[in-house]
Amino acid sequence: MPAVDELPQNGGYMVAAYVVASIFYLIYTIALFRRAARVSRGER
Amino acid sequence: MTTDLAPARALMRRGRVLVILGLVAIGTGYARALLYTPEEARQGLAQKIFYVHVPAAWAAMMAFGLVGVASALYLWLEDPRLDRFAAASAEVGVAFGSVMLTTGPIWAKPIWGTWWTWDMRLSMTLLLYLLFLGYMALRSAIDDRNERARYSAVIGLMSLVLVPFIHLTVYLFRTLHPQPIVLKPSAPSLPPEMLISLLWGVGAASLLYLGFVTLRYGIGLAQELLEDARRG
Repeated sequence: MPAVDELPQNGGYMVAAYVVASIFYLIYTIALFRRAARVSRGER
Repeated sequence: MTTDLAPARALMRRGRVLVILGLVAIGTGYARALLYTPEEARQGLAQKIFYVHVPAAWAAMMAFGLVGVASALYLWLEDPRLDRFAAASAEVGVAFGSVMLTTGPIWAKPIWGTWWTWDMRLSMTLLLYLLFLGYMALRSAIDDRNERARYSAVIGLMSLVLVPFIHLTVYLFRTLHPQPIVLKPSAPSLPPEMLISLLWGVGAASLLYLGFVTLRYGIGLAQELLEDARRG
């Protein structure tokens, strides 16, 4: 019986990459928004 | 005495809107990549990291490359806006670079069998990232604005050499890293569904870059105005 080519089971790496990227973008966004709010109030 | 922060506030407002639009575009791109883009036959689901990694790498290289251009122009024209832009673009480049340098190894592990390899492409990319961490450290260490701008511009210039060199490393050296599939002389070698997802991701990352830089530029401008007011 011929061997059936199966797709590699590596979905966990995909999920990890999407989660890591999203966390980086969100953390940087929050950091910039907070800095913007601070300087808008006249604080350095 | 009150400081007129109106121009900085307007920029920050515009930046916030662009950042939110960029994040929505990134999220939509992720949904498209995960739900509607076909699975690659040999790599399986891990290949979908491509739609996160490549747009982040594109935005990081664009950010660092533009720091180089702004730095060269600053050394010529000495316009403080160019220095402010370079500072903003460098920081945003580091943010995108962090995504590039974490998602790359996560993709490499299941496909290459290793998280990292010290070949020219990866090593030079890491060097560029570290160079810009140093660039940011230098900026925070110098108080005098003109001096800070001049020293930073000299370091920023290095990206004008490094960014094109990193693009060419896959042609010049033996490497595990794949060659470009879109930015190459011949036509892109991707099925249309995958190409659309990739281009959407690149567009979304570019929009997010624009939002981050606009917001960061506004913050830099506001900080300078507040500093000037304090010094009288």
